[in-house]
Amino acid sequence: MAHLTHRIGAVLGLLLAVPAVPASAQVDLSGEWSSFFHEEQPERIPGPEIGNYIGFPVNDHIRMRGDTWDASIQTLPEYQCRPHNSDYQTRAPQDLHIEKEIDPISREVVAWKGHWLRSTTPRVFYMDGRPRPSPNDLHTWEGFSTAEWHGDVLTITTTHLKEGYIRRNGLPRSDKATVVEHLVRHGDVLTWVTIIDDPVYLTEPLVRSTDYRLNLHGAVPPYPCGIVEEVDREPGNVPHFLPGTNPFLTEFAERYGVPAAAWRGGAETMYPEYRLKLQELQGPNPSLREPVNVRR
Amino acid sequence: MLPARIAASLGLLVMLPAGVQAQGAGPPPARDAAPVDLTGYWVSVVTEDWLWRMMTPAVGDLASIPMNAEGRRVAEAWDWTRDEAAGEACRSYGAAAIMRVPGRVHVTWEDANTLRVDTDAGTQTRLFHFNRSGDPGGTPSWQGTSLASWDPAGRGGRGVSPQSRGGSLKVTTSNLRPGYLRKNGVPYSEDASVTEYFTRLPESFGAAWMVVTTIVDDPRYLNEPFITSTHFRRLPDDRGWNPTPCSAR
Repeated sequence: MAHLTHRIGAVLGLLLAVPAVPASAQVDLSGEWSSFFHEEQPERIPGPEIGNYIGFPVNDHIRMRGDTWDASIQTLPEYQCRPHNSDYQTRAPQDLHIEKEIDPISREVVAWKGHWLRSTTPRVFYMDGRPRPSPNDLHTWEGFSTAEWHGDVLTITTTHLKEGYIRRNGLPRSDKATVVEHLVRHGDVLTWVTIIDDPVYLTEPLVRSTDYRLNLHGAVPPYPCGIVEEVDREPGNVPHFLPGTNPFLTEFAERYGVPAAAWRGGAETMYPEYRLKLQELQGPNPSLREPVNVRR
Repeated sequence: MLPARIAASLGLLVMLPAGVQAQGAGPPPARDAAPVDLTGYWVSVVTEDWLWRMMTPAVGDLASIPMNAEGRRVAEAWDWTRDEAAGEACRSYGAAAIMRVPGRVHVTWEDANTLRVDTDAGTQTRLFHFNRSGDPGGTPSWQGTSLASWDPAGRGGRGVSPQSRGGSLKVTTSNLRPGYLRKNGVPYSEDASVTEYFTRLPESFGAAWMVVTTIVDDPRYLNEPFITSTHFRRLPDDRGWNPTPCSAR
């Protein structure tokens, strides 16, 4: 009897020692998620205008890159099938598939994976605490990502990114950047917050948030991209504008009546008090004028 | 006999939820049960929808909003002089829009079961009531009546530190005066309801962040729920706090 009591006691002790809520018993993010465009539809679907740097904490280096960028560069064979860099995937008009990788023995989630239409390989968010590679290791479109839960928020940290873009109008993000993302699920809505810290091109972190809706009938289709000769050009010709020669830079500002000091962007344009400066720059009720072409 | 007793205890242990605390007289006040601290000063960081938030868009500019035909018709008839003359300059500062208005917000506890959010833009006050339920009734107002809860409720248990419990504040608001989703007269009706989730995010790059996911449902003017997420950076104090009156322009 004493032997039995000891055994039961041991089982009891074991039960007390095992957490009642396993570490992995968190919000389930897996499934098909549809993008929608209740924010930034003009920027995310047709695409941003040339010269629109507004609301971003940009420095002069990135302005120069944007000023000299020619959209025709996208027609180069080397660019046609270029995937979005991972920190831009959520801004692009494409759906998302999330799956979890489960350890077959412990059944813990050891990694999450994200697939978008325009990604060559899935993004992998490692949950197993593995160390980061050497800073000199391979940099890729997806980068190297680790993740951890903070309550119901999944926080992802990504390094080892190839140079990419933060806006599809020639504003680059350097390969020195670190990206932190926070995923929050509320019922059928997933909010994906992306914060980019780029010591080369940004004066302070750039934060954006994107929402998805759960889609029980969704699927990310394949992306069989093919390369064609889109434009006849001399070999070695790379579309660009020399500094000071881009004729399209001011179109955006003229269309919306945005003063020059604003469309060049910079951290101060992100903050509420900039509205007062806008009023000084434009006079009373400047924004009530009709733009040349209202996009609906 | 002894094994049976132990087995009974064992069964009881297995059945106990992880977060069971000492049983008291009732649930603790919302302030004590808060899984996250949302209090303090926060500033909106306008990196999205800049043209529609920092400037007053032109009449009829409805970009991104899933308006139906009736909503478009009303939006295209917007006249700010009429709103100003009617004393309705706060139409674009109502609960369905206020978190998108560039500004600072100050979050405090009004009492143990009421969270208060003040905005400097439009000098509005929102009260989130934790201890109410059901039909709010009363006179409709710009900020309506807001019922609050922690989402998820009761997270905790062994192995979950108070610092990492996490969670969001869920707020549902109705009983609204008709207002504007955007400053240029894009309407929401008195039938609208607003569901919001206020989530404090882990510190990143030396700053604390909050994201507010807002879902506006308005069967009169919207084709589908209008969903946005708005981010804020936490401030150490009230610097920059600048209460201004509503403006219809």
